[in-house]
Amino acid sequence: MDKVLWVDNQIAELTRVEAFLEELGEEWALSMPLIFSLNLVLEEALTNIISYGYDDEDKHTIEIDFKKTDGKLFISIIDDGHLYDPTLKEEPDITISAEERPIGGLGIFLIKKVMDKVEYQRKENKNYLMLTKNIES
Amino acid sequence: MNVLVTSLNDYTIVSIEGRIDTTNANEFEKSIMDVIEGGSVRIILDCSGLNYISSSGLRVFLIALKKMKASKGIYRLCNLQPVIKGIFDVAGFSSIFSIFPNLQRALEG
Repeated sequence: MDKVLWVDNQIAELTRVEAFLEELGEEWALSMPLIFSLNLVLEEALTNIISYGYDDEDKHTIEIDFKKTDGKLFISIIDDGHLYDPTLKEEPDITISAEERPIGGLGIFLIKKVMDKVEYQRKENKNYLMLTKNIES
Repeated sequence: MNVLVTSLNDYTIVSIEGRIDTTNANEFEKSIMDVIEGGSVRIILDCSGLNYISSSGLRVFLIALKKMKASKGIYRLCNLQPVIKGIFDVAGFSSIFSIFPNLQRALEG
């Protein structure tokens, strides 16, 4: 099963992502916790792309592909922003005290923790972030 | 998202309903900072109605925790839904926040 969602590089589009996932969840019979996880992962990835991916003020389209097979859910996020490989981002230390914790910097970390596999490719001046989640089929 | 601020037994109870995400985290930050800067030194965040949070929301929870720790105030969370508690666990937040199963326990400390 395949689905595609295109969004503009606007934070307001996150509301549309949420609605899309609600519908996808019904259609593909995904659990509420799984929809929550997918919403979180997409929000973190898209927020990064929209906030830091572009220098210009132009409209850009970000493509999100969804694919479900037996036991696995695949999501690819494709954008034409700057080369950015989130898999290289250093993980934050989550054992230190509240006083020492830096503010922010958790987004990519959450994506890596929530998904079972996170891969990145740069092809034809586009970023491909490929995410896999093991699910009960 | 809705934030309701009430007082109970010398505690300020901040009840959060709905989602805290990138689109409204600033609004949530303003609400909680208003409470802290308004002089509340014993704050309980009742999260029973909070059904979604992303790193933008976690950031605000942490900013408020740092402020309250710096002023030696009381800052507790209660009634976290399982998915929210799950994200707190993943983010390593469960070990730095005082989290209680319900409001009564949070009031008892």
